[in-house]
Amino acid sequence: MAELRNVIVFSLGAARYAVEIRWVREVVSLGFVTAVPTAPPSLGGVVNLHGVILPVLDVSALLGQPPGPPARQGDGALVVEAEGVTCALRVDQVDHVASLHEDAGAVVDASGRPLTLLDPINLVRRALELVGGAGKAELAP
Amino acid sequence: MSDALDLDFDPDELVMLRQLFATEAHEALEVVTMRVLAGGTARPSPDALTEMMRVTHTLKGAAGTVGLSSMVDLSHRLESALEAIGQSADRWGSHSADQLVEIVDGLRVYLDELVADRPGTNVAADALRARIDLITRGAPSEPEERPSFESMMIPTIVEAGEPDDPPRHGDDTGGHELIDGTAASEPKTWLRVEPERIDALMSSAGELLFDRTRIERRVQLLRTLARDLARTRQSLRDAIGDGSMPATSQRGALSAAEAELAGQAALLSQTTAALLDEIEALRRTIGELQRGLTRIRMESARNLMSHAARTLRALRRATGIQVELRTVGEDTEFDKAVAEQLVDPITQLLRNAVAHGVESAAERLARGKSAHATITIRARQDGNLLVLDVADDGRGVDTSALRERFVATGRWSAARAQLASDDDILGALLGTGVSVRGVADELAGRGVGLDLVRETVARLGGEVRVTSAPGRGTTFSLRLPLSTSLAQAMLFKVGGQVYAIPNVHVVDTTLVEAGAHTTPVRHEQLPVLRLETVLGHGATGDRRPGVVVSFAGKGLVCTVDKIVGPREIIIKPLGPLLAPLTLYAAATISGSGKVQLILDPAQLVRRAYPDAPEAAADAVSAPLVLAGRALVVDDSRAIREAMTSMLGREGWIVDVAEDGGRALQMTRQLRYDLVVTDLEMPELGGFDLIARLRTEDRFKQTPIIIITSRASPEHRRRAKDLGVRALVAKPITRRKLLEALAAR
Repeated sequence: MAELRNVIVFSLGAARYAVEIRWVREVVSLGFVTAVPTAPPSLGGVVNLHGVILPVLDVSALLGQPPGPPARQGDGALVVEAEGVTCALRVDQVDHVASLHEDAGAVVDASGRPLTLLDPINLVRRALELVGGAGKAELAP
Repeated sequence: MSDALDLDFDPDELVMLRQLFATEAHEALEVVTMRVLAGGTARPSPDALTEMMRVTHTLKGAAGTVGLSSMVDLSHRLESALEAIGQSADRWGSHSADQLVEIVDGLRVYLDELVADRPGTNVAADALRARIDLITRGAPSEPEERPSFESMMIPTIVEAGEPDDPPRHGDDTGGHELIDGTAASEPKTWLRVEPERIDALMSSAGELLFDRTRIERRVQLLRTLARDLARTRQSLRDAIGDGSMPATSQRGALSAAEAELAGQAALLSQTTAALLDEIEALRRTIGELQRGLTRIRMESARNLMSHAARTLRALRRATGIQVELRTVGEDTEFDKAVAEQLVDPITQLLRNAVAHGVESAAERLARGKSAHATITIRARQDGNLLVLDVADDGRGVDTSALRERFVATGRWSAARAQLASDDDILGALLGTGVSVRGVADELAGRGVGLDLVRETVARLGGEVRVTSAPGRGTTFSLRLPLSTSLAQAMLFKVGGQVYAIPNVHVVDTTLVEAGAHTTPVRHEQLPVLRLETVLGHGATGDRRPGVVVSFAGKGLVCTVDKIVGPREIIIKPLGPLLAPLTLYAAATISGSGKVQLILDPAQLVRRAYPDAPEAAADAVSAPLVLAGRALVVDDSRAIREAMTSMLGREGWIVDVAEDGGRALQMTRQLRYDLVVTDLEMPELGGFDLIARLRTEDRFKQTPIIIITSRASPEHRRRAKDLGVRALVAKPITRRKLLEALAAR
């Protein structure tokens, strides 16, 4: 039974996710979220974080599920950095920082409840693909 | 100009020379101000007086050269006044320093008015003259109201390194005297450049960033295509391999084609990768260019701090509160454009410190502090940030009182107030409408002042932090990016959000009728692009405001909900996740910290001209180019320079000729895409030049613009006969030029 140390557990809709803390730069409460009209649903808008333009990603949409509600000012978010991209993942609630166990391929928390462990590299790659697709559609004659 | 004159300059040249003079004069007057401020309220030393007289004397001479006789008179009088101060100590009173500084400030305002040729300057000159003569004559200059504390007044600027000052730590720049006494500075040669020229270069460099983004997007697209191609090839290969292909002969041909495709895909992918490397190199070069240009515009914090010293002096006089200014890090350099924007916030913070931060002398003594308060302005560089601290040693912010106030005013719920940490409370201080004092007074109050500070700093891409220690003081830290790319943009609202378009591509604003697909702008019908639809909101049936955009020679009108107006904005890159969305060129941050998207005019053109693929291709591949090579013909150097700079901003490469004869020679060697000419010139006049050009095939269709001070109907008729695109009356402005370029 492998152990995963230091993950942040958060909930989004009915689902619970975990992401290793080493990817997380900051846990923030979002400022004003500016909508980006031509972006795919996975990109829920942009915010100003310490003077830098930061995209807000919708984890559900990135995982191929129906996108969650639009990101709004005051929502919680994890600022993650992967693949040279810094972005904010909108969350409903940050639960806690914990150590997890991997049990027969499934990740469970201390009380044995299942969680989805997110890989920020894959999330960012997927986000780039989706946005790239939207950009390509824009450029196509 | 206000002064009668009989000079050897033509009017254009005189304007230019007077602008040069104004720059010099401001420098000279600043020297006087600094020398006075350096002495506090004390009479300036003989050396300082000599220095002040010398610069005033030089000023007098220069004013004469450019024919500003009232300025000659005023500087002469100032010189006499300074001389009088030097000769007799009783010319100097406790108010003299303030008076001198005010006189010099008045002179600077007057100077600008004079050079800008505004009416009513005579009255100002008379008032200044009277004030200066008052010093020379030694008329009683003793104060209006408050002699009692004047005598206890301490100098405005205290040398940080004074022996009785406690040693300071933590600031690597160390403490410096604000003005370096009377020591003569090292002789250096300086290049004087009008700030507008640097701004033009900055704006071109900013455009380069947009251009690079466009190229990068195209290359990213190529990369995706290369990947798609590789995938197609793989499917082809699989199809050949699985043996479902019937004829062997066909299979051979297909295999050969597949191999070729593989090679091509590999080459495409290598080329794209190489291109991306080159774009990366380009990005670095553009970055260096921008940093270099920013450095040219850098100035030390000195000006800002001497402004602060003056403000505090005025505040002290108005309130009677004993407070001195200490400055640290005057040599810290930052962008002049940023420095200019910081004047108001710093003034506000000083007002705030005096009104709220600092206790009365009695209260201070009771708390075991020195009777006079100190406000410290400290500038320093912290990594990529410029940090400007304004700290007072006053009572600090009473967070529990603020907490109660937030609840009392209904701003916060009691629960929230209880949960909030002291830092939260201090942060909220910067929000809207909180004043620390119960009653707003004229100095600072109603909490609006801090809003202004926060907004200005946010607009510059920075943030404000507040720290406070009860009984020990409050510090406001303005944290700003060291370099900013500022640009002019037109802001407007669509679907509740504010968007921007770079101003170089905005020609005008107009109104568009409901449902119109084209709309008349001056002499032509331009296509209408319904931005509300492009940006995913429902179309509305109303008459709507429109922004007229011109890009790559194509005009269009974008309908919007509301036009906000032109603004100076900072340009922020979008980052890799947003870059593929071609509609947006970059983003900016509003005063309230909201992100606003900047639309890419190239993409708007593409959308407005969907049926013209070649136009779209032009628009994308040749960004700034309405442009090409232009020839400017005028016998005034100032006009030639002005046109070169204006056309340069629009992306043109500009050659100049001083008369028609020279222009004709040049047109034999090179082909021009645009000719801009004056009418009256030695050698060959404008109309003759145009007539000759039109006889040549190469110049039959070339757009020609006439700039002239005589635009009579007869001239217009002749111009029309010669197929001149536009006739523009001097003085030429950017707007007139853009209109002429847009004319068909």
